[in-house]
Amino acid sequence: MSYLTHASRAEAFNLDHERTSWHDETLWFVRQKRDKAVYAVPEFQELRSLASAIKEHTLSRLDHYLAQFEAAALANGVQVHWAADAAEHNAIVLDIVRKRGATKVVKSKSMLTEECHLNPYLISHGIDVIDTDLGERIIQLRDEPPSHLVLPAIHLKKEDVGDTFHQHLGTEKGLTDPQQLTEAARQHLRAKFLAGEVALTGVNFAIAETGSVVVCTNEGNADLGVSLAPVHVASMGIEKLIPRLADLGVFTRLLARSATGQPVTTYTSHYTQPAEGREMHVIIVDNGRTQQLGRPDFRASLKCIRCGACMNTCPVYRRSGGHSYDFTVPGPIGSILSPNIDLKKHSTLPFASTLCGSCTDVCPVKIDIHVQLYKWRQIIAEANHLPAAKKWGMKFMGRLLASPNAFKISGKLARTGLRLLPHGLTHNQTANAWAIARELPEPPKQSFREWYQQQAPA
Amino acid sequence: MSSTRDRILAAARANQPAETPLPPVADFGGNASLERFTEVLASIGGTVVRLAAPGALAATVQQLFPAARLVASPLFSASLAIDQQTPVDVLADVDLAVLPVEFGVAENGAVWLPEANMLHRALPTVTQHLAFVLDHRQLVATMHQAYARLPNGPGGYGMFVAGPSKTADIEQSLVIGAHGARSLVVLVY
Amino acid sequence: MKVALFVPCYVDQFYPQVGIATLQLLEKLGVKAAYPPGQTCCGQPLANSGCERDALPIYRHFVQTFKDFDYVVVPSGSCVYHVRKHFDKLEQTPEVQRVRTTTFDLIDFITEVLQVKEMPGAFPHKVGLHLSCHGQRGLHQANESEMTPVRDGQLRRLLTSLDGLELTELDRNDECCGFGGAFCVSEAAISGRMGHDRAHDHLRNGTQVLTGGDMSCLMHLEGIVRRQKLPIRVLHAAEILNGATL
Repeated sequence: MSYLTHASRAEAFNLDHERTSWHDETLWFVRQKRDKAVYAVPEFQELRSLASAIKEHTLSRLDHYLAQFEAAALANGVQVHWAADAAEHNAIVLDIVRKRGATKVVKSKSMLTEECHLNPYLISHGIDVIDTDLGERIIQLRDEPPSHLVLPAIHLKKEDVGDTFHQHLGTEKGLTDPQQLTEAARQHLRAKFLAGEVALTGVNFAIAETGSVVVCTNEGNADLGVSLAPVHVASMGIEKLIPRLADLGVFTRLLARSATGQPVTTYTSHYTQPAEGREMHVIIVDNGRTQQLGRPDFRASLKCIRCGACMNTCPVYRRSGGHSYDFTVPGPIGSILSPNIDLKKHSTLPFASTLCGSCTDVCPVKIDIHVQLYKWRQIIAEANHLPAAKKWGMKFMGRLLASPNAFKISGKLARTGLRLLPHGLTHNQTANAWAIARELPEPPKQSFREWYQQQAPA
Repeated sequence: MSSTRDRILAAARANQPAETPLPPVADFGGNASLERFTEVLASIGGTVVRLAAPGALAATVQQLFPAARLVASPLFSASLAIDQQTPVDVLADVDLAVLPVEFGVAENGAVWLPEANMLHRALPTVTQHLAFVLDHRQLVATMHQAYARLPNGPGGYGMFVAGPSKTADIEQSLVIGAHGARSLVVLVY
Repeated sequence: MKVALFVPCYVDQFYPQVGIATLQLLEKLGVKAAYPPGQTCCGQPLANSGCERDALPIYRHFVQTFKDFDYVVVPSGSCVYHVRKHFDKLEQTPEVQRVRTTTFDLIDFITEVLQVKEMPGAFPHKVGLHLSCHGQRGLHQANESEMTPVRDGQLRRLLTSLDGLELTELDRNDECCGFGGAFCVSEAAISGRMGHDRAHDHLRNGTQVLTGGDMSCLMHLEGIVRRQKLPIRVLHAAEILNGATL
């Protein structure tokens, strides 16, 4: 089976120069807001180190903290479920919904449920599931996947949203004012909240010592959904754990500043016990995470708190769009998570980077993202997933560059060829990808080596 | 046959690295002033209003929200009685909730609202407008100090609320009043 | 002090003037550098493409070529970063360890080893500085916008010590240019777009001469400047510090 490469999807995205500029600038604006917020906290770099160490420790005793969390949650009257993969997760959710005889489900943002493709599963079983985060609702109406971790509809312009709302919510044609569009969504979704029978949420942090799950939103949709519906189901990956309530002091200071430049999300909600007469469920999901935990070079990717800062800073992501990654989590972090799930399918993602390292430098939990990209490249090449031309070319270069004489001769040949051949041939854009946007260097008559040899010995 | 639970725990045990230390979290100090809190809250769309006297609450609320018809509050005799059994259709009509909060956080304009202060869990987000009542002596500088104020945990349900509900999901344009409260005032006495 | 000059393969072939300027600049600073003729490449093009294993003979050759020198000076931070960071794949013999620590980027060698912090001369032009990401974030040659709003760095200081030189303040101080080695052809559309955006940031803010410590980024940017016929000259920092005139 062959797959589209990141490069081909990115090229398609780039065909619209102005829209690419807009996408790049919109996300750069978020990066700048992040910078401003970060500069204003003198201990920010210290907080990154602390967050990284707390997450590393948690991963090093993950079995212990999972068991501790489970025991605390059970003692709080929470029902705890375990899912090895997406299929088990989805079946558990459906079972809970059916036991209540419910059909109306309201869902707040959860990348895990995206990863598990929960929505299509529930819908195929006759459940009406409504995404209530504004961005998620927009893309749900358009039947598109999210293009960013925290800004799921960032690939859309307000005109696109206006068209979608006109079609699905009956707003006036041509309405593009974000304030009015948001108000229309508020009215539309309020009815859904009030009728909700089961509320699904993700989990930003799970506290082992108290058995609480913490959900961070700006819109208030998680709280509204959960506190109105009789049943709350929270889905969490095993890596969401932190040991102590006090650790939240570190993570809540980092998360929103890194994500959007806000000092904290509007709502930081701690769900520990169900309200009287209601149900609360937590589903703890593996889905490839323990496998990633077993890869020493890549387990640090499990520290991720899903802030999206690596996307906002990534010069490639900003100019290729989230959909070019064809994975639930796009951008740099997605490019180190996805090969764990399907190495062949996602084999071009670790190459969708210049290894500039900005992702690593903004990461609030200090994941060495660009180092892992480099390491995935080695594994992909070893597993024979490189394009054939690249593979054999590299083998040839390897021999050439270990041999000074062959190197000297081939360099002279290339340079002479470049000087003598016509521009139309050397700059043919089908044969030479370099020449699509750039001129080749003007070949000098003499290489440095040749010049040096002509100099009089000292 | 082993359960999924046992298999996940066994896989974690088998694959996790050698134990690394859990660092203590320092208190970084910081500015816990009302001025800072006020400034930050304003920057995220909220407002601080000083109460002339604790007894001035009802009058101040009346003055700030003259159009609010259905008001819920445990702090004065309001127009609507809400408890945990109040049905959804009643909650849906609330114009204003006036709720006491335990403390505020100067670095981010958040306040701590435990379940006991909410009347109903849905009230803080279902109400159209929200007013919190805060003792000016109950301010901390950072989230580290905030969590240190919760030695017995966060309770059954509790939230930090920082400003009114908002979204920037359409082209990064900030819109106040997404699904939760459209406005937020912190009344400080 | 026994100093070797390593001239990256593409500089040798396409930008001999950069190698010459480096050699002459070092000489002005009292260092007579040798150019071992057996040198080839640091192996980075292969390793960044995932073919680290095929690059190992190149690494060994590099070590053999430079093991007897006190310092290896390179007018390219990216190659230096590769030697320092990725030669960890070799068995860490004393020779390998030595070469990994004695290999220096030209600017770092001037400021850290020679302790030269100012340069004589004049260059009365508006200069746009483009540090390579490997130099900036990998070798920490300058402050990073991810960490601090303060813009500082060794090359920045050296350049501004020249009379009449004014540095361009960019909209995005340290965004990647999009060269990225094989990335420039495997992701040609994005690479070209990134280079376009970098070049136009310089153009918009008045850069007359675009410079940096890494000829690979500059080769890419120069290719775009020439294709679009932008009024910008591209020079390696060694050329400016060596007294280039326009």
